[in-house]
Amino acid sequence: MAAMDPEGIDGVRMTWNVWPRTKVEASKCVIPLAASIAPLRPHQDIPTLPYAPLRCKCSAVLNPCASVDYTGKLWICPFCFNRSHFPPHYSMISETNLPGELYPHYTTVQYAIPSSPLQPQSFDGSPPNSHPPVFMFVLDTCMIEEELGFAKSALKQAVGLLPENALVGFVSYGTQVQVHELGFSELSKVYVFRGSKEISKEQVMEQLGLAVSGRRAAGAPGLQKGAVQNGFPGSHSGVTRFLLPASECEYTLDSVLDELQTDQWPVAPGNRQSRCTGVALSVAAGLLGACLPGTGARIVALVGGPCTEGPGTIVSKDMSDPVRSHKDLDKDAAPFFKKAVKFYDGLAKQLVSQGHVLDLFASALDQVGIAEMKVAVERTGGLVVLSESFGHSVFKDSFRRVFEDGEQSLGLCFNGTLEIICSKDIKIQGILGPCTSLEQKGPAVSDTIIGEGGTTAWKMCGIDKSTCLTVLFDLSTSDKTSTSGTVNPQLYLQFRTSYQNPDGQTMLRVTTVTRRWIDSALSSEDLLQGFDQETAAVVMARITSYKMETEDGFDATRWLDRSLIRVCSKFGDYRKDDPASFTLNPSLSLFPQFMFNLRRSQFVQVFNNSPDETAYFRMLLNRENISNAAVMIQPSLISYSFNSLPQPALLDVASIAADKILLLDSYFSIVIFHGMTIAQWRNMGYHNEPEYQAFKQLLQAPQDDAQMIIRERFPVPRLVVCDQHGSQARFLLAKLNPSATYSNAHEMAAGSDVIFTDDVSLQVFIEHLQKLAVQS
Amino acid sequence: MAAFVPPGAHRPGGNNSNQSPSAQQHPPPPNFGNSPAALADNLQNMNLNRPHSAPRPSPFSQPPPPYSFSGPSPGYRPGSQLMARPGPSPPNAITRPMGPPSGALPGVAPGRPMAPPGTRPPPPGSLPSSMGSHMGLSPRAPAFTGGQATAPPPPGVSPRPLTTGILTPPPPGPTQAGPVSNGPPVGSGPRFGSPGGMSSSVPPPTGPSSPSAPAQVPSMGPFMTGPPPTSMPAAPPFSGQPPFSAQPPFSGQPPFSVPPPPAMGPPQGSPFAAQPWQMRPDQMVRPPSGPGSAQPPQMYGMPAHLPNQSMTSISPGMAPTGASVGGPSKIDPNQIPRPIPSSAVILHETRQSDQANPPPPATSDYIVSDTGNCSPRYMRCTINQIPCTADLLATSGMQLALLVQPLALPHPSEEPIQVVDFGETGPVRCSRCKGYLNPFMRFIDQGKKFICNLCGFTDETPRDYHCNLGPDGRRRDANERPELCRGSVEFVATKEYMIREPMPAVYFFLIDVSMNAMQIGATAAACSAISQVIADLPEGPRTMVGIATFDSTIHFYHLKRALQQPLMLVVPDIQDVYTPLQSDVIVPLSECRQHLELLLESIPTMFQNNRTAESAFGAAIKAAFLAMKSTGGKLLVFQSVLLSVGIGALSAREAEGRTNISAGEKEAHKLLQPADKTLKTMAIEFAEYQVCVDVFLTTQSYIDIASISVVPRTTGGQVYYYHPFSVLSDTAKLYNDLRWNITRPQGFEAVMRVRCSQGIQVQEYLGNFCKRIPTDIDLAGIDCDKTIMVTLKHDDKLPDGSEFAFQCALLYTTLYGQRRIRVTNLSLSVTSMLSSLFRVADLDAQFTCLLKQAAMDIPSSPLVQVREQPVNTCINILLSYRKFCATVSSSGQLILPEALKLLPLYTLALIKSTGLRPDGKIDDRSFWINYVSSISTPLAIPLVYPRMIPIHDLKTREEEGSIVPSSIPLSSEHISDGGIYLLENGDDALIYVGGSVDSGILQQLFGASTVEEIPSQFVLQQYDNPVSKKLNEVVNEIRRQRCSYLRLRLCKKGDPSGMLFFSQLVEDKNHGSMSYVEFLVHIHRQIQTRMT
Repeated sequence: MAAMDPEGIDGVRMTWNVWPRTKVEASKCVIPLAASIAPLRPHQDIPTLPYAPLRCKCSAVLNPCASVDYTGKLWICPFCFNRSHFPPHYSMISETNLPGELYPHYTTVQYAIPSSPLQPQSFDGSPPNSHPPVFMFVLDTCMIEEELGFAKSALKQAVGLLPENALVGFVSYGTQVQVHELGFSELSKVYVFRGSKEISKEQVMEQLGLAVSGRRAAGAPGLQKGAVQNGFPGSHSGVTRFLLPASECEYTLDSVLDELQTDQWPVAPGNRQSRCTGVALSVAAGLLGACLPGTGARIVALVGGPCTEGPGTIVSKDMSDPVRSHKDLDKDAAPFFKKAVKFYDGLAKQLVSQGHVLDLFASALDQVGIAEMKVAVERTGGLVVLSESFGHSVFKDSFRRVFEDGEQSLGLCFNGTLEIICSKDIKIQGILGPCTSLEQKGPAVSDTIIGEGGTTAWKMCGIDKSTCLTVLFDLSTSDKTSTSGTVNPQLYLQFRTSYQNPDGQTMLRVTTVTRRWIDSALSSEDLLQGFDQETAAVVMARITSYKMETEDGFDATRWLDRSLIRVCSKFGDYRKDDPASFTLNPSLSLFPQFMFNLRRSQFVQVFNNSPDETAYFRMLLNRENISNAAVMIQPSLISYSFNSLPQPALLDVASIAADKILLLDSYFSIVIFHGMTIAQWRNMGYHNEPEYQAFKQLLQAPQDDAQMIIRERFPVPRLVVCDQHGSQARFLLAKLNPSATYSNAHEMAAGSDVIFTDDVSLQVFIEHLQKLAVQS
Repeated sequence: MAAFVPPGAHRPGGNNSNQSPSAQQHPPPPNFGNSPAALADNLQNMNLNRPHSAPRPSPFSQPPPPYSFSGPSPGYRPGSQLMARPGPSPPNAITRPMGPPSGALPGVAPGRPMAPPGTRPPPPGSLPSSMGSHMGLSPRAPAFTGGQATAPPPPGVSPRPLTTGILTPPPPGPTQAGPVSNGPPVGSGPRFGSPGGMSSSVPPPTGPSSPSAPAQVPSMGPFMTGPPPTSMPAAPPFSGQPPFSAQPPFSGQPPFSVPPPPAMGPPQGSPFAAQPWQMRPDQMVRPPSGPGSAQPPQMYGMPAHLPNQSMTSISPGMAPTGASVGGPSKIDPNQIPRPIPSSAVILHETRQSDQANPPPPATSDYIVSDTGNCSPRYMRCTINQIPCTADLLATSGMQLALLVQPLALPHPSEEPIQVVDFGETGPVRCSRCKGYLNPFMRFIDQGKKFICNLCGFTDETPRDYHCNLGPDGRRRDANERPELCRGSVEFVATKEYMIREPMPAVYFFLIDVSMNAMQIGATAAACSAISQVIADLPEGPRTMVGIATFDSTIHFYHLKRALQQPLMLVVPDIQDVYTPLQSDVIVPLSECRQHLELLLESIPTMFQNNRTAESAFGAAIKAAFLAMKSTGGKLLVFQSVLLSVGIGALSAREAEGRTNISAGEKEAHKLLQPADKTLKTMAIEFAEYQVCVDVFLTTQSYIDIASISVVPRTTGGQVYYYHPFSVLSDTAKLYNDLRWNITRPQGFEAVMRVRCSQGIQVQEYLGNFCKRIPTDIDLAGIDCDKTIMVTLKHDDKLPDGSEFAFQCALLYTTLYGQRRIRVTNLSLSVTSMLSSLFRVADLDAQFTCLLKQAAMDIPSSPLVQVREQPVNTCINILLSYRKFCATVSSSGQLILPEALKLLPLYTLALIKSTGLRPDGKIDDRSFWINYVSSISTPLAIPLVYPRMIPIHDLKTREEEGSIVPSSIPLSSEHISDGGIYLLENGDDALIYVGGSVDSGILQQLFGASTVEEIPSQFVLQQYDNPVSKKLNEVVNEIRRQRCSYLRLRLCKKGDPSGMLFFSQLVEDKNHGSMSYVEFLVHIHRQIQTRMT
């Protein structure tokens, strides 16, 4: 965890902070030009301007990089070089009287768009502002009583935490889907949908009596009355029937939950329960689509097992068919996979068009189908949490975090739209991360598409403080260095994110960054100065994951190795064919180790995980910031001992010592590892004795640090406390560099440990790398 | 269904024990007996309370028990004994006219008043239908006893005398065929009751019964005498009859009787015919009544018409009417054949002297003693002898068919059907045709073998069933074994007859809550009815209940106890429905009573502001079906608007038809066909899973009964139609209909087959059922009101003089989950004589067939053709008779076979009936068609030829003794402007108030001093005065007789409702068709033309 703030006010980190001029040069750099942006990353210095931004014809927003002619009252757009006059209300502008957006250090500013009914729909078509957030809870009931109990109490707690005006809806499902009409006062009323049949949005609307033009509405003039109340023009009575302010429906929902039973449909012996997750989600989506299209709303799904019924099914009901594994996927032996993915892809499209989010909280010992649902979660910018049980703290605490207010709040925002505008010659290949392409074509769109590409605008139905996207750039093939190069040595990128904040306010955040062009043919040294190893490692990890998912027969290890060798060949200092002469510039020196760990990580070595886990890991890899993502790839290890302050330790088996405590943060789990001696002392209870206060403190210190990490992280990581040689110790050992294995155990110091593996150690890896890098 | 046994009846056999005990002891639900009574009571209450306050009141519960039980049972026994007597008398069987007439007449007079009066009164309003019958029973029973023994029955004083009178007569009757026939008149009397009948009835009390009887006969006599050659020996008696006519005088009663009496006074034979009547006319329009009275006796087949003198010369069988030539003018309207009301109870033995005994008229009040053939209530043949060849049958112009009503309500005084348990081996059956053992299977070879009377195959007698034969060739144990001596028995079914456990009693209520239903109050009415009826559901753990409501979606309710309140589960997909829960939508009644009540209470408020106008009836029944699929059961649907969305959605094609008249003309009948096959397909599936659907249509608009009715029809259910629905006047009927629907004797998951002896085959079954294989019909539900018509065809020549057998076997599950086989046998002799066929033709059955066939043809043929059909049939029959049977007579005479002398009248009424009238509303006609499809024989005739009684002078006739006054002919000549008339057809009733009715009467009956003040949304109330009480008594009595609560509507002179009333007077010239007299002339001309 970097104590520093490498991302600064802009929340932007790039693999290269100086850019080569040409496509050819860029490709020689091996590591692609990419920027990791955190559009809503909070920063105390970001000003919020209470007015609408000033835009150039090219849609770029006025920014500090623009040149301003104070006398002429006009400004020149750095992107298109167009001159624009300031409008009348900017007439006071002068060198000493600058509007916020022109302060040089305010490269990122936020506009709070005033809510004016006259204002045309903002550029992305988002509706007028000031909507309360909407939460549609979708609860699986195919669980054992105990689990359902956990889930229910989590839900109740969540509803209690919601702001009073937040609208709440509730859908439960099992064999069938039950939509609870919370606004029906006479008795509990639910609409039941069959789980086995795919249902379109129109059908949902029609069947819930929400169709606008349906014949039913015609016969029901009274129904339209509710439309305008609650400030939902254009919405329907559904708002008062199915979605109620939390304050009004908390009691109803509580009693509904109290009465909710586990799914009662019979299950044949040897069969899985019939669970129609797919239909449940599409009904929830349809309902939201009918009631509140275009407003911020999230479907919060609590799923307790695999979908076995209807569309989105991932496995047959027969227990003797196991849920697909990576091997099955590889061999194309997962009969439901493609169909399910297609279904969820359709759902994702629907949700995106409505501007709604799907959050997935999956708790089960077996897989639930995250691999298939990933597309819907990721495209809508939803949250995802995978745990073993609804009673586990990973779920409970994470779930609470979603709804908690205050310092730790996730800052859930809705309806985000990101637009990127860049200097000429820069093309955008796409974005890896939680968003959807809006298919907005433009000159800055590259022919090569990676991730969500082919556009300069993206939809992020759900977006929060930590959301992070990776933008991959390309340079135009035309080699017109002379012209543009002479004109401007700087390149500009502007990221504009409009969104609806948790209070319902529509905001626009504009970040304008500039970087230097460099003619890399002349100096790779300069280029290297602008290299960000950490970002590069994360970007490589993201690209690898993406390629593994999308390219058949992609050999990730080989690709990473070759990339690394090429980087080293290009940027290392060495004499040809003399491995011993190989050295790396400090700005590149950590990169090989990142790659080494990436090769061993769960992102590449997927066969140790289920497809669900892999999907889960990758989703988080893609949405977390660089520091966190780096931890996923290369965990941090801190060593605690009597002799010194806590200090970072090498991620190496050699760091294990009998008298030390290690704290490993691999993002998804946090391991506190007690050396053998420490464990013995603790077991004998020394820390309870007054004279051993120091020992007590030593024991406590990693706990405190772990809690600190846990508190800041979402999803909450799993905390593993273990002792050397204990069974849980594997969580640590798996992450360490196997410098000591059974084959060289005799070399090890006493109290250290060995790892039983045939994997190569970092040292061996580096040796090979040097050899290969220097080959002519 | 032992259970079904009549209310009061004792179950003698141990077999019945299961049910009977409960029945007898627990007044409440199980027994019909009780329940009926209860119903009755309820009805009463309803009636009374209705107007004032909510119907629900507890009142209902109280009364029931008393009646049914004590009343009936006691009554029975005595009755049965009495019955015995009649037996002996039979000797003279031959002359029907004779015995019966005499008996009948007296009986009649008394009869009417008779049973009903005493007994029925008690139940007053209560039991509409079911009760009615039961009630009737009890009363009647008393009547019998009364006659002989003490006056057991509480009935009115008058009744006894009457009864006695009646009783006595029967004996004579029995002697000859006559009696039998007479009997019927009695029964019928009440229904159609011609005025004459009424009047006569009164008198009886006064004079000795016997005398009276003769008197009537006489009238008949004249005719009779002449013709009777065949079996009419009775002739002599007739002559005696004059007394009858005399009777009328006695009655001296006010209006009706009066006329006749005076004239009649002199009762002597000769006078009757012509003179008296014509003379009489004076006072009342009625004069005819006199004749009427005379007629009753004739009903049977007797000669008796008043016809012209020429008549006399006519052969006994015929009842010539006015001469044709002269045209109408020459016909004396008072002398033309009319139904003769009779009130006496007839004792009927199904077989006498080892021969089938032609049954009494279906509409008469009779008590059957099963002496080998089944009671005619269960099975009737259109001709009581079987023509030996198809040619012979064709020549007669008549149709050979059976009307089977396997669970018909018996008379309370009848011995209940016995239940026979053969243990694990099951009933003995023919190994070839699978016919069940019956009294007509002949044991041979010392009882070691038996010959099947159906297929002729010889079987080994099972060893443990063996018994030696007595000297008469019968098994020695024949009289101890019901299956060997009774026409109807019920066998306990073994596992072999089940493909699964017998199903529990499942009731699923489905209620329309669409905007319209809410607004017209139909939903509230339905909920209230259901909520009251819950108490009547069969007790026990196997009774399951479910409920759902629907508009454009379907709302189920999770009724499980654990929940704090019911949970509403909405099924919104009405194109492709499903059930929202695997279990808990249908739960044992004992577990959800409270929830159910709560729910029914809240439904009307819950949907109060429902703005959904659409109705997804099709989807709703499908969804309910899915919930019931695993068990089957009864689905009761309350529907108020046209099925407009979802599965099977319909369009308002009636309106389309109207706007599109030119195209509509030719295709008019298409509107009477189901719109498409969707519902039919669904219905077949329902039937397959034993779901029986009853539909209660509470509507104020077009609802397309033609399409909807397919479902109940296919599943053995029923359509109830309340149009235009009025909360005020229809709530009580809805409740009572529902209650009867649930409490009447019935069975589930039934299969029925009719087997015939060799030479004749079943051609077709008609009724409410589903047919999957040609020989059997499947009935998801079957109840006591449902009749199935079975048409027959010869495939061989039958040996003259042999016996020909029909056997109907109904395998079903009782309400309490027992599997039973009810077997009814009818064995008739084969004849080669055309005249015999005419002599034993069963008018009621024939007409019922005619009616059902016409109804069946309406949707598929142009109306003109449908209307021609019955007229042609009528003409053909009469022509055949005229040609081949009538003795010489002048060509100017219309000669009618005695047995069928009312055929022209009924035929005329038929072509004027709702269904065949071109101006009827589509839904009304569809309903009519549907109603007719399962209608029983006793209700078929009043449906087309309603009973009309004057009610403005009830008080003055109090002494009459009969609760229901005698009816008057359906002719406007009989309507006086100062009168008030009640006209009922077994389902609907109209009360017509003339323009100048005495305000005192109005005040007493309606609580209003002028006609205008009477609200058009009429509810019969009981005011504290004798007239009003009497009227209520009368109405309740009719309800009991009809097993229906009757929809009472008020008709005022001079407005459309008045027109409605007059349109019911079928003897008038109206609807663009002929008057009765004209019609006779028309027929006569046709016959003459064809003769030449």
